[in-house]
Amino acid sequence: MNDLSFHEKSTWGTLVALIAIAVLYTLEVLDVSRAGAMHAGTVTGLMIGYTVLLVVVLVVYHLVLALAERPADEDERDRLIGWRAGNIGGLVLGFGVFGVIGHVLIGGMLGDARLLTPPAIANLLLLALFLATVVELSIKLYHYRRGI
Amino acid sequence: MAAGITNRVRELRAAAGSMTQQELAEAVGVSRQTIIAIEQGRYAPSLAVALGIARAFDRPVEEIFGLAD
Repeated sequence: MNDLSFHEKSTWGTLVALIAIAVLYTLEVLDVSRAGAMHAGTVTGLMIGYTVLLVVVLVVYHLVLALAERPADEDERDRLIGWRAGNIGGLVLGFGVFGVIGHVLIGGMLGDARLLTPPAIANLLLLALFLATVVELSIKLYHYRRGI
Repeated sequence: MAAGITNRVRELRAAAGSMTQQELAEAVGVSRQTIIAIEQGRYAPSLAVALGIARAFDRPVEEIFGLAD
């Protein structure tokens, strides 16, 4: 771990926390869906609750990290890696949003109402955001290890 | 090799006696991990950082960095 910079450790922690909390959120959403309680209010509560949980976990992680070693300012390599990863993450998010738009439009044309409810669309958009963030963080880690 | 750039940073640091990666990083204003990445050829630094390294070794930049064949 000593070979990793503060920013690389931060990226690892964020990726692991994000995936772990996404798994918990997905399991709970599936439970709610099976129980037939997939309403906008329920999903809103879950999204807010798990977002707060993610923020708390990340704050605690970064506090511990900052106590273990002095947080370093970003240098030019960190910024370059961030820009490249951010560009690709942005592309993934764009494709995801357009995918959801297509899903809504095509679903609307086909008249399938099950996946066109506000909670379903909100979860699809959240999935797009999750995938984009995971791709961005993974590309960061790739460049930290393999070079840029 | 990052962007076809070679460098002699590790060699010059060793020749400079006891200069550590951390000391060079602080002299240049980057992280130690960035110095490691430069030495391992995983990162081609900006002109500003290359000139900073040249100044730290008191050598012309072209003696430290070059184009790979």
